[in-house]
Amino acid sequence: MKIKIPKRYLFFVLAFSSAIITAVTSGVDAISQIYIPDPWALGVACFIFGVLVSVSLTILLSIPVRGKSIGSRSIDPAFKKLRLPRRNEIKYFIISGFGNAVLTIGYFILLSLMTGDVSVVLPFTQIAILYLVIIESLSEKDTPTLVEVQSTVIVTFGAMLGSISLSGGIDPIAMAIVFLVINPGWVLLSIYQRKLKMLRFNDQPNDALNIRVWNVIVACLVTFLIVFIFDMFMHTSHLIDGFYYSINQGFWVFLIALGTFFSFVFYIRALGIGKASVTQAVKASAIIFTIPISIVLGIMGIIPPFTTDPVMIMIKIMGIVLMLLGILSFALTLTKAYIFIKKKPGYDINKMIQDLWNIKGVTRVTAVAGTYDFIVKINTRTLIKGYERILRRVDEVPGIQKSTWQSVLREWEDI
Amino acid sequence: MRPGKSDKAIAEMRKINHVEKISIVAGEFDIVIRVRVEDLEDLLTVTNDIHLIRGVQKTTTQIIEKEIAL
Repeated sequence: MKIKIPKRYLFFVLAFSSAIITAVTSGVDAISQIYIPDPWALGVACFIFGVLVSVSLTILLSIPVRGKSIGSRSIDPAFKKLRLPRRNEIKYFIISGFGNAVLTIGYFILLSLMTGDVSVVLPFTQIAILYLVIIESLSEKDTPTLVEVQSTVIVTFGAMLGSISLSGGIDPIAMAIVFLVINPGWVLLSIYQRKLKMLRFNDQPNDALNIRVWNVIVACLVTFLIVFIFDMFMHTSHLIDGFYYSINQGFWVFLIALGTFFSFVFYIRALGIGKASVTQAVKASAIIFTIPISIVLGIMGIIPPFTTDPVMIMIKIMGIVLMLLGILSFALTLTKAYIFIKKKPGYDINKMIQDLWNIKGVTRVTAVAGTYDFIVKINTRTLIKGYERILRRVDEVPGIQKSTWQSVLREWEDI
Repeated sequence: MRPGKSDKAIAEMRKINHVEKISIVAGEFDIVIRVRVEDLEDLLTVTNDIHLIRGVQKTTTQIIEKEIAL
């Protein structure tokens, strides 16, 4: 029997499926730690299987059926077949692969410090939003607004409360790994994967499957290098152990690699339907799904049993609710607008493009031929800021004759 | 756009080839569509497809000459 899902629900089905798979996979991570207690070796083994699973499935998805590949029909319309990376992608693959390698090793070390409790570890990864706001402020020409600062503080404090260890202790090494290793790694991975997805080849958007495959391959090589250097200096054998475990404990590592692949595929597919920020917010619900996983792992005796102290449970729930509220407010408060501009004769177009581009909050300046001369795209958190900091500055640019503000109410994009 | 026709019209617009982005806006216009075409023949096809959608009253085309974007 074929299940048909209405398109308006498909987005939520995909994003929640991705979140549930992420939570279940993190449970498998915790179980794997019993069989592979060395987090460095587990990271190495995960990448070995990650490459094998991603390449095999992508080859399978490259098989053409009636002129189109299976992957193009089912996952990403831009996908044709497994291909080599293009020259202008290599730099981005190296940076995003490095981010992925650092993030994964940091995650497994944290998981081993937190004795496998995934409901403690996963909320910590959401603090990456704090870093993204700072980076956007520096690189995307935007000053953080009150809403952004509030949401960031809510998410950070929510993550801290949600991640509270049920034994009550705070480990300074674990905090250092969260703030200095995992989240910076996640930020590098997400920013440069987005840059890769935004590249276009032969008038087609870049495809998610090849991005995933090459990211895992580069991350695997970077992990080998990092672990090899670590082994050299510390006289350990994590790299060899990683190969050993990937042969002897292949089943668990295979499950992690499979879960990660499908979590990623559903996430990308959801990105093609809904807004990226909303998709990210829905995906963050994974932190809720980790609670039943932790309870089950506790009952099975894999991690210390879940507390029955109502105060501790309440603190954890408050933290998770705060975090989700912060992420949702981030996703839903972004306002976009177009400004259509007519210029006066006698002013240099290139100079005007540069003047418009220098205004904070401007994400795109387009010189056009038609009724207008420029179309400027704006991203802002509030309309007041849009008026005071952007529209007034646009009108001050020498040569502007008339500007028309068009607020974007809703938007669809072909990702 | 004619009032009350936007939802169906946007569903039709999303099916048109070469359409990259559709934004519903508040102001002088109702909808901004970004398309990427190889030649003017393709642009004519896209414009024609948009004109054939019920509810579309008027279109204005702006050709991109130069662009800076994040």
